[in-house]
Formats: sequence, structure tokens, C-alpha cells
Amino acid sequence: MNVFSKLIYDIGRLWGKYWGSYLNGVRNTLILAVVATAIGVVIGLVCGILNTIPCSKNDPLPKRALLKVVRFIVRAYVEIFRGTPMVLQAVFIYYGLPYFSNNTLRFSSVWAAAILVVSINTGAYMAESVRGGIISVDPGQTEGAMAIGMNHFQTMVNVILPQAFRNIIPQIGNNFIINIKDTSVMFIISFTEFFAFHQYITGVNNLYFPSAAIEMVGYLTMTLIASFLLRRVEKWMDGSDNYELVSEDQLVMAAGTYSHPDRGTPFDERSREYDKDRQDARWAQARNESTRGDR
Amino acid sequence: MDEVILEIRHLSKSFGTHEVLRDIDFTVSKGDVTAIIGASGSGKSTLLRCINLLERPTSGEILFHGKDVTGKGVNAPEYRSHVGMVFQSFNLFNNMTVLKNCMAGQVKVLKKSKEEARETALRYLQQVGMAPYINAKPRQLSGGQKQRVAIARALAMGPEVLLFDEPTSALDPEMVGEVLSVMRDLAAEGMTMLVVTHEMAFARDVSTQVVYMNQGVICEQGSPAAVLGDPQRQETKDFLARFRKG
Repeated sequence: MNVFSKLIYDIGRLWGKYWGSYLNGVRNTLILAVVATAIGVVIGLVCGILNTIPCSKNDPLPKRALLKVVRFIVRAYVEIFRGTPMVLQAVFIYYGLPYFSNNTLRFSSVWAAAILVVSINTGAYMAESVRGGIISVDPGQTEGAMAIGMNHFQTMVNVILPQAFRNIIPQIGNNFIINIKDTSVMFIISFTEFFAFHQYITGVNNLYFPSAAIEMVGYLTMTLIASFLLRRVEKWMDGSDNYELVSEDQLVMAAGTYSHPDRGTPFDERSREYDKDRQDARWAQARNESTRGDR
Repeated sequence: MDEVILEIRHLSKSFGTHEVLRDIDFTVSKGDVTAIIGASGSGKSTLLRCINLLERPTSGEILFHGKDVTGKGVNAPEYRSHVGMVFQSFNLFNNMTVLKNCMAGQVKVLKKSKEEARETALRYLQQVGMAPYINAKPRQLSGGQKQRVAIARALAMGPEVLLFDEPTSALDPEMVGEVLSVMRDLAAEGMTMLVVTHEMAFARDVSTQVVYMNQGVICEQGSPAAVLGDPQRQETKDFLARFRKG
């Protein structure tokens, strides 16, 4: 029998028998990825904002010391959770809590543990993205806001963060897609996401490859839909490229109503270079002058 | 005599060991239009940024209505809301429409109601000829249009002094005129202005005093007729001669 028709037959058999389990896995994976990415973005925003609070030598000592401590904590958090595998973090936290509390404390649901682990992991990555997003906003925007009397908080909320947020949307999308895939390691704490069902199902019937094929197609479908939706969100946030002129009859154009007494003098503030007539006249004058000079 | 608004006393500013401003002294009274001229790198912009506290002066005093604003206990945002600033690079808020740009400061800083802020914003946008564009985003405007919106945004705060930091230097030549004519109108209305500029015609016709800066110090100051028409110092003469040639 042809290999491909055998594969299709096996996939059909698996799907026919276990489609409910697969779809349940997809559902759990998506819920975990969406919730954890959302919480992670909030953690990232908070860390990124804390890390970009301006600190100058003019500030009082307590404020400077506090900022130093806060920055150290954020830095440690980012380095620890970015620098260790998520699968290990899951085990560490899920089994660490009962271990340290002599079994008095434990996660009441594996959902809580999974969401916690993926969220703080995403947060660690997002913290740096948010910091980058804030730094990449033109410093002129801050100056413009400060010049009309906004304080740091008002500047952040009204001017910088909206622009920084737009900048980091691709990063949020990245993290969302990574989370869809990487939540698969949560099987280690027996969280029943998409990949966990693959393990249960193949444990019963040994159809490893056909089941893996279903998983591949399933993950790819989820991530493709996710990136399509994220593109739409970006477009929507950028707004329309068009705008409507508002016409009011009492409008008086201030520009162009002033008569220019300096036309043609060295004090002419209009563009001599771009004004054809003026330029011709100047060339004529220059020719005359050079002629005079030569003879 | 007119009421004194700003008094700059012995102002100095260093970046590290590099001294950018040295012992700057001058006074701005109500209705004055002060043109600050000088070569690039002579400290003109730094002086203006110090006056708005965007840079902290190293030493010296800036008296606003007789009160020093360089001290530690001073509420800098509050002071800045009385002193408008127009930048060379416009610095309009990219995430807001033209109208929102002119309303944000009024609503967030001056705590005005939205309706009142909108009315004020529209009035000033109309004055600078940008009222038809209230729904546009900054990226959709030309340089001259952006700068006129920036002026309206500063005016909407009801400032006592307006600082202009080379407002026309980043503009294409054909847009310089539209911004300068807005500034001329403002001067004619009696607005107190400090203008860092390379537009000598503007300095000569509109300003009431001219400050010529050279290498971080005020080299010559006085009426436009005196400084531009009959300069006493050799540096001033050389500087002006370069402009006449160009």
C-alpha cells in the first residue's frame, strides 16, 4: 500500500476516534496562550515603565535609591526567567511550592500554575521589548510634552506609551505565537494542552507519526490564524491614511496674507533658490557684477 | 516701563568640561520680541532650552516675574505651562490628530473641559490657518503646516512668553514664509517672544531687541537697528557680512 494513502488512512482513523480530545487540546492551548500573553504584556509594561523612569543627579537621594532597588529587582527577574528553560521553571514552581511549605500549600489547579509560569516567562521577554519600544520613541515627543507642562506621568500615559505600544505590537505577536507552541512543555505538570493529548493518544495505539502530523497541521493552523489577526490589529491601530478637510467659511489663511517688503533685497526671507523669477534676476545680476569686476 | 517677565542673570551651562554658555545676562519685558542670532554652535539653542528648563543651567538664575525657577523646589512642569516652546523639529504628538495635539495640554495640564479646550484650539488653529486640517495626523502634513500647528499648540496654553528654537530651519524654503508670517502676526498682537533664528530680515523688522551670541557669550545686544545696522564688534560685523554675501 502506498505510504501516503496509509498515512491518510491512519490520520482519518485517529481523527475519527479522538477528534474530541484533539480539539479540547487546541482549546486549552489557545486559552493558556491568550491569557498568559495578555498577563505577560501587562507585566512587561510595568517592568518597562519602571525601568525607564528618568533619574537625574538633581533628584532627592531616597528617590534615587528606590529607583536603584526597583531596577535591580526588575533586572534580576528578567535575567532569571529569560535565562532558564520554561519547562524547568514549571517543574520548579509547581513542585517547589508544596516542597517549601511542607505540603500545606499547593496549586489548587494546574491551570493556575500553567498560567503563572507562562505569564512570568512572557513578562520577562516583554519587559525588554517594552523598554526598547519606549526608548525608540523620538525624544522630541517627550520634549514636546514637557514643553507644554506635562509631568513624566502625563507624558508617558498620553504621548509615549501609545506610540511605544504601537511599536511593540509585532513583539506581542511574536510572543503570542511562541506561547502557542511553547505551552506544549506544560505537559510536564500534566496540563492537558494540545501536545499532551498527542502523548495520551499515542500511548494507547503507537501511531506516533500520524498523530504528530495532526499536531503539526494543528499548530501551524493556530499560528497562521494568529499572525493574520495580528496584522489586522496593526492596520487598525495605524488608522486611515486619509483625512477629511473641514471647511468653515470664516477661515482666513494667515499664511500668505503678509506683503513682503524685502522682495529682491538681500533680506528676502522667501526662497530665493526656489523662486524662478528671483533666481533668473539674480543670475542676471551676478553676470553683470562679474562682468564689471573683470574689466 | 513695561513689566519685566524674564530676567536671565549670569547664566552658565556646561556639558561635562565643555562650557556652552558663559555668563549670559539679559531681560525680556512684556511685548518684547527678542531675536537671538549667531553662528551654529554658539549656544543659542542651549540658552533657549535652559530658559524652558529642558536643560538645567549649571549656574546663574532665571527669574520669571522675579522668582528664580532654577532652584530645587520649583515645579518645572507648572513653570513650563506658562512658557510656550516651538521646536525646530516641530515635535507634534504623532499619535494624535491636529486638534488633539492642541487640546492635550489644555485638558491634561490646565484641567480645562474638553469643550473649552476644543474651542480654544480651534481659535488658534484658525489663526495659523490650520483649522481645515484638524482631523489630520502629523505625518500627513508638510513641514510648514506642522510648524503652524506647533505654534497653535503652544498658543493654546495661553503662555506669557513663547520661545522659538529655529522654527524655520528644518523647513523647505518655500514653507519658511508661511511660518514667519504667522510669527509676524503674533508679534504685531503684542506676544512676548524669544526667537532663535537665522532669518535676518525677521530679526531686523520684527524684533525689539537683538542678542548676538558668539562662542557661548553674548557678544553684542541692543536694538535691531544698532546691532544689525551699526554693529560695534568685529565678530558681529563678520557674522553679518557672511549673511549679506549669501
